[in-house]
Amino acid sequence: MTLVARLILGVTLIVAGALKVTSIDAAINSVRAYKLLPFEITALVGTALPIVEIVIGLMLVTGTFTRLAAVLGSGLMLAFIIGISSVWVRGISIDCGCFAPGGAVDASQTQYPLEVARDLGLLILGAWTVWRPASPFALDAWLFAGAEPTITDADQENPR
Amino acid sequence: MSQNRREQLRKAEQAKANQQRLTRIIGVGAGLLVVVIVAVFAVVLISGANKAATTTPAADQVTPPHALADNLGIRPYPNATPQAGAPVVDLFFDYQCPICNQFESIYGAALEKLASSGQIDLHYRPMIFLDVNLQNDSSLRAGIAAACADTVDKYREYHDQVFANQPEQEGAGYADPLLRDTIPTKLGLTGDALAGFQKCYDGKSTHNWVQAQEDAGAKAGVTGTPTFRVNGHDVDIKEFANVAPEQLDTLIKKFS
Repeated sequence: MTLVARLILGVTLIVAGALKVTSIDAAINSVRAYKLLPFEITALVGTALPIVEIVIGLMLVTGTFTRLAAVLGSGLMLAFIIGISSVWVRGISIDCGCFAPGGAVDASQTQYPLEVARDLGLLILGAWTVWRPASPFALDAWLFAGAEPTITDADQENPR
Repeated sequence: MSQNRREQLRKAEQAKANQQRLTRIIGVGAGLLVVVIVAVFAVVLISGANKAATTTPAADQVTPPHALADNLGIRPYPNATPQAGAPVVDLFFDYQCPICNQFESIYGAALEKLASSGQIDLHYRPMIFLDVNLQNDSSLRAGIAAACADTVDKYREYHDQVFANQPEQEGAGYADPLLRDTIPTKLGLTGDALAGFQKCYDGKSTHNWVQAQEDAGAKAGVTGTPTFRVNGHDVDIKEFANVAPEQLDTLIKKFS
């Protein structure tokens, strides 16, 4: 279960980040369209967000520092949910800019319920991974191997 | 081997394993940090390089003669004198934005009437952010061209022609010959005026001014076009739903 959860969340983050990282100016415009952050920091957030998404995504997919990555990933989803809900409530019509350049769109083209539901689903997957970070095919198994007192069965590098 | 000796060996091995584990964790953690830092630098550098490539810094930059100070746009009807207390109306637009085109075709004449008679102080404020979304540079080039047209007193006419020639398909953009030759010829520019306009366009002489309008608009919180602003208050496009062009002054009064 955790394996599935971290793979879905991880791959989603990598895809979302990769689609935005090639057009940083568009990502910055997407952030501005939310009219949530002070203008001065929108450039920083717009630039950093795609990179952060890719890195957290890679950590989740490879199972590196799984719990930390899941905490950060869930935090991102929470932030996205808050952001989208806030434009929804304020009656601003934008594309969320989650997977492509966002910005103002016609009111009839907004998809807030879908966007929030998707991020909520991903948040649940993230929360599950925080709760139970251990799963097969994770780099963590190698990374944290050799913790006491399980040296005899866990640490294959030092067989007795 | 005594029980004690075995215990000591086990402890030493455990300590060694713990040490290795710590090294692995620190190593991978540090590696991740380095990757993040390198990625941030790479992205910032690459996007900066792309920007430099598409927007060749041009020599001898000029400001359109009828531009407003502080990058607050340009007066499309420079011969009109706004009456005392006339509301300032800012229209933020992007030459590649279809709704801006529609807006212009519906309310352009009404705005002209109000501005020419001095009832409003009309400021046109070009934005170019659609270039980013549409992955071209047509908004910028059209903005440069319109600003160049102001140097030969044809801003308003040129502006209308750009919208009149907006491609059906959003993102198809404006071709150089259209902006450089077709439109000015249609506006009757000849001789020195045409040469002056083309020199301005070819040299991107108004590039910095257009870019400054975009930056000023973004800083003023404009994230979509058209944005219609009366004395600093945004009038939502929904407000225009049932407003006929001849009722535009009533709507403007409501917000001023």
